[in-house]
This record gives sequence, structure tokens and C-alpha cells, in this order.
Amino acid sequence: MIATWYVIVSFMLIIYVALDGRNFGAGMLHWLVAKTPEERRQVVAAIGPLWTWHEVWLVGFGGTLVAVFPRLTASAFAGYYLALFLILWGLILRGVSLEVGGHINDRLWQGFWDFVFVFSNFLLAILFGAAAGNLARGVPLDADGNFSMAFFTNFGVRGYVGLLDWYTVSIAIFAAVILAAHGGTYLMLKTEGPVHDRSATWAKYLWAAAAPLFLAISVESWVVRPDLPGHAIHNPFCWLGLLVVIVSTIMLISGLSTRQEIRAFVGSNFLLVGLLATGAAAIFPVMLYSTLASENSLTAYAVASSHRAFLLACVWWPAGLALATTCFVFVSRRYAGKVRIEHGN
Amino acid sequence: MNSSISDPAFWSRFQFGFTLTYHYLFPQLTMGLAWFLVYWKWRALRTGDEKYDKAVRFWAKIFGLNFALGVVTGIPMEFQFGTNWAGFTRYAGGVIGQTLAMEGMFAFFLESAFIGALVWGEKRLGPRYHFGAALAVAMGSWISGFFILVTNAFMQHPVGYQVETDGSLGIASLSAYLLNPWACVEFAHNQMAALVTGSFVVTAVGAFYALRKVHSMQASLYLRTGTLTALIASVLVAFPTGDQQAKLVGNHQPVTLAAMEGRFVGGRMAGVAVIGQPNIAARRLDNPIEVPGALSFLAYGTFQSYVHGLGEYPEDVWPDNIELLYYSFHLMITLGTIFILLMAYASFQNWRGQLQFSTRLLWVLMLAFPFPYIANTLGWMTAELGRQPWLIYSLFHTRDGYSKVVSNGNTIFTLIGFTGLYFVLGLLFLFLVGREISHGPDEEVVASRGEEHFV
Repeated sequence: MIATWYVIVSFMLIIYVALDGRNFGAGMLHWLVAKTPEERRQVVAAIGPLWTWHEVWLVGFGGTLVAVFPRLTASAFAGYYLALFLILWGLILRGVSLEVGGHINDRLWQGFWDFVFVFSNFLLAILFGAAAGNLARGVPLDADGNFSMAFFTNFGVRGYVGLLDWYTVSIAIFAAVILAAHGGTYLMLKTEGPVHDRSATWAKYLWAAAAPLFLAISVESWVVRPDLPGHAIHNPFCWLGLLVVIVSTIMLISGLSTRQEIRAFVGSNFLLVGLLATGAAAIFPVMLYSTLASENSLTAYAVASSHRAFLLACVWWPAGLALATTCFVFVSRRYAGKVRIEHGN
Repeated sequence: MNSSISDPAFWSRFQFGFTLTYHYLFPQLTMGLAWFLVYWKWRALRTGDEKYDKAVRFWAKIFGLNFALGVVTGIPMEFQFGTNWAGFTRYAGGVIGQTLAMEGMFAFFLESAFIGALVWGEKRLGPRYHFGAALAVAMGSWISGFFILVTNAFMQHPVGYQVETDGSLGIASLSAYLLNPWACVEFAHNQMAALVTGSFVVTAVGAFYALRKVHSMQASLYLRTGTLTALIASVLVAFPTGDQQAKLVGNHQPVTLAAMEGRFVGGRMAGVAVIGQPNIAARRLDNPIEVPGALSFLAYGTFQSYVHGLGEYPEDVWPDNIELLYYSFHLMITLGTIFILLMAYASFQNWRGQLQFSTRLLWVLMLAFPFPYIANTLGWMTAELGRQPWLIYSLFHTRDGYSKVVSNGNTIFTLIGFTGLYFVLGLLFLFLVGREISHGPDEEVVASRGEEHFV
């Protein structure tokens, strides 16, 4: 039961990353793929109507995490205090920049909000990447299951670590690159004209850059957590995740090279899902690893709610998922197709 | 008040109170306005009258801005349960997390998927589906309110729980938890109060246009629908919902009721103070002017009912800020009474067909819109200050709930960060909404979010 809910919670977070990741990526590429004010409006139009729909997955994830793993929420959120507030403020700025940027047809106004948009998306991609690195590397959990972390300490990965070190920074860079590539693939699908062409080029370069980075972080992960690979080999979900990664990479490459944009974008989504799922499966059952002493680590079993809470959640969660799926179908049908530039507006 | 600058619980409370109060400025309008949109869209469908569609188009723009600010200021609320209230989350996360998650799954998915369609999708969807989108958004916003109020009601009046083997709380009965009588009354009271905010805002915009003698068709529509809804909602806020709420407090939190009324000595024929300030040191109400017996009657049904005084309870179970609680409650009641009188008079004038020409009354209606926001905030202050010193009434102390690993300075730092950011957001919001209102309902849709680019 606990393992099932670990899968469900991971699933919600992964869906969030795949959905909002395209916004982070489009935001980071904003200035690179869109040069004129009209082109910039086109990028915003490609993600604008949907950002709240993407962001609520984070809310759904947060609520579910509190319900089924309350002690993890308590330790992790309090421990990551300042970093989490940076994420929250970044999300506020990102949402506001999307929402108010188009309200006034003025160069300076839109230029300013474009800046806020690019800046906040960069910040979010880096912070979420660093957070993923922290989950893999571990945090200085004490025997009571608490920690409080500096932004950085000595950039080492053992003992009293900080949010940033050589490992989490490289994960953050990798995250920024693949999210940008994901965003580029999305913009390629959703736009036409010069924005489309530039996005396609950037997507190709960025995906190409992601491959060596992926090898690098795989080796790094093995150095930082030598216990993980041996453990992961026995987890069938890791193999499933890797299979998804391989299939989606093939889809992505064939989609990009044959200009099958939908295929490329589906591949891009599943590649993110596969990578994150493999990672989530590899660290299970530990949800928060302690860099001080492995017996301090918080496993899913130690931080879980009561069995009854899981049963109750099993009652309403499928209904919620059904509703989400309905909304998903509605949203994807309604916003199918490409965004066009309307001149003279 | 035992809260000082060195008390971390104080700062976490202050931060949560501030960010929540600010956040709730937006949902209270969306929850109130949502049903205006549904009603006007329905009228447009039935009559085919263009003025209803125009009203929907105009108010949907304001709704959209409100909704966006509600989303961005709402996400920090959920995360603060973990960041600042780790003790509380450890203890009660298994209970309150259920409704927080349900809110995300059932309400936000619905709202966020359809909000774009409501604001920008009229042409593309056609009238029937556009009506459907308005309905989905309205339902979503009220469902979301329900789950949050269930969560709050559990903190006020915990039911349906059990203590697990590790000492934390779990749910014993989901139906008892969701249908907590406190939650049902609180939901009705709160939603009516949101409707008061929505209808006062609609009325104020109508009055503004009527005074400027522009958009006269729209102005009279807003005034007519606004004043009547405001009257009905204002009455329902007081009776039966507010009355029932006070009875619940009287029955389950008698010490809170005593503090709300500044009663230090218990007795029969207890009065309601119209004027008076609590003097904690002297344990009395200064210069009181009371309606005798009113409190006994309102809280327990007869004039002879016994109302407890604070003196009957040890001081460590008194709410820790009695003055603030007392003023919040009394000012809320005063405002609520004024709302009923004002809107009864305005509806009467409207029925006589005189409202458009009563310049003085229009001025009052135009300037009245901030007061429901104040009354809503005061109501929440009454509920939350009255619950102290408990985080979950009679089960869990506020002083046990905050995050022990987060230092005071960090909380003050993030609080100041929120203050600055929210100040700027507030300016932006007022500027943009003011701009929409000054452009008026006859203005063509201005580009935003880019939805109109989907062809």
C-alpha cells in the first residue's frame, strides 16, 4: 500500500514536471527564439492559457504528500525553508508575468514582463533541478528526522551538505538543459514561422547537449551514492523507467529528424517521465536520505500516514484522477493546433 | 498576549495570518462573482439579450485577474503547512492533508481547466458550452471553499478522528470529518459573506458608471442584480448562518464566546455590548452600553440562559489576544448590520425606479465596496483568534505546531519578502482592474494570455 502511494505521489510530481517543464523551457528560450514583440506574444500565447492548469498539479501533489506522507512534508519543507520560498516567489513572479504582460499593448510594459518571465523560469528550472539533486544526494538529517540546510557549505557531498554542491549544481544544469529542450520541442509543435524554426533548431542542439550531460550525471550519481545502482538493479520499476527512456529517446530522435512534431513532443514528455520515474524508483524506499548517518534516513514506511489514511485516499483519489483526465482531454482538444501571429494587433 | 518578538510561534502565526488574509481578498470575490457570471450567461441564453453577454465578457476579465492572483498567492499557503507548521503537519497531516489534496484534485483541476474557456473562449465554444464553462468555474471555486472550510472546521471542532499508535491523528470516519456540523455552518456563513463581497463590488461598479452617466444599460443591470443579491446575501450572513455559527461557538467554545463579548463574569440575562472596550488588567469592559439579555438569547435561546465568563476559566485557556478578538467580532457585527440596512434601502429605491437618480445613495454604494472585504477579514480574525491558544481546539496547542528547525529570523525574512512582493502585486492588481473598469464593458477584448491567438 505504501509503495503504491509512493508511486502515486511520484506520478503526480512527474506529471507536474512534464507539464510545467514546457513552460520553464519556453520561458528560458523566450529571448532566443522570439525576437520581435509579436513573436514574443506568440510564445506567451503558446503557454499562457494553460499555466494555471499545469500549476495545480503541484498543488495536488503537495496536498497528497501531506495526506499520505505527513512526516516527510514536515521534515523536508521546513528543512528546505529558504529554497522553497524562492521557488514560491519564483512561481508568483512567473504567473504574474504571464497574466499581466499582455494586458497593456506597450513595448516597455511587455519588455519588462518578458524579463520577469525569463528570469523566473530560469530560477525555477535551476531550483527544481537542485531539489532533484538533493533528493538523490541526501540532506543532513539528524536522528530526530530534522534538518536545516545552508545554501552551500564546502561544495562537498558528504556530511553537512548545503543545497548547492558540485553534484546538485550539475543536476541543476542538466535539468535546465533538458527542460529548455522540452520547452523548445513544445514551442516547435505549437508555433509556426520564425519562432517555430528557431525553436526546432534550439531543441535539437539542447537535446544533443543533454546526452553527454546525462552520461556525466549518471557517473556522478554513482560516485555520490555508490549504494544506489546495486539497489536499483533489483527494482523492476527502474528497468521499466529505463525502457521508457530508451523508447522515448528513439521517438524523440526520429520525430526531430523526420519533422514529426507530435511524435517528437510525445517522446520529449515520456523522456522526462522515464528519467524521473527511474530516479524515483532507484531511491525507493528512502524518501529523504541522510548524509550524516544512513540510519537517520526517512523511508516511505517511516513517514507514512496510517493504513486507514491510505485506504481513504484510495476511495477519492481515483475519482479525482478521472476528473483530471476529463479536464485533460478537454484542455488538449480545446488548445490543439498552432498559435498564429495576428498582425496589426 | 504572550507573543513577543523572540517567540517563533508568533512570527509563523503572523506570516500565515498575513499571507492568508491577503490571499483571501481574491477568492472571496471570485466565489461571489462566479454566480453572477453563471446567472447572466443563463439570462443571455434564455433571452438572447446582448447586454447580458456584454456583462459576462466584462466581469470575466476582472474575474480572470482575480483568479490568477488567487492562484499565485494560494500556492504558498499549502506549502506553509510544511515550512512553518511542521509540528502541526506531523501531528494532523493524515487528517487535514486529505482535504487539502481533495481540494487540488476536485476543485482546482475543474477551475483551472475551464477558466481560460470562460474568459476567452466565448466565440470558440458557443453560448451553451460557454455557460458550461462558467458553471464549472463557479462549482470549482465553491468546492474548493468547502474543502478548505472542512479543514478549518476540524481545527475549530475536531470530529471523526482517532489517535494512531504513534500519537498522531488519523481519520476514523471520512463522512463525519467531511460533514462536520461546524463545517456546514461555516461554509454557509462564509459563502454568503463571499457573495456579499461579490455583489457589493458589482453594485459599486454600477454606481460608478451611473454617476459618470456612461454605459447606462450596464449600470442599471449591475445595480439591479447587485443590490438585490447584496440584500439577500447580507440577511443570510446574519441569519440563519451567523446566528448558527455563534450558537456553535457558545456550545463548543464557551471561553471564546466570553472573550468575544469581553465578559469576565458569568451570569444570566447576559447582554451584548454595543459600545465598550475590554480592560484585561481590571477584568472588565470599560464604558459598556449593553442590550440586556441579548447574548443569553442569541447564544442559547432564552433570556435566562447562563453565559460563562472568562473568570470561570484558567487564564492559560483564554484566547491570547482578547482585545483584538473583541474588536474584530464587534466590528464585523456592526458592518453586517449596516450592510443589511444600506442594501434594503437601495433595493427599495431600485424597486421604485429611483436608484439611478439618487446621487447621494449612488456615492455611498460606490464607496461601500471595501467594507465587505473588511467584514470578511474580521470574521476570519474572530474565528482564528478565538480558537487560540489551540491549533486544533482542545487537542493541540499552537505553541507545539510551528517548525522547530526554522529560526525566527528566517520567518521574519520571508514575511518581509511576502510583504514587499504582495504590496507590488496589490498595486498591479488595482492598476489593471481600475484600467478595465475605466475602459468599461463596451470596450473590445484586449489581448492577454494570448488565448485569442488560437484559431
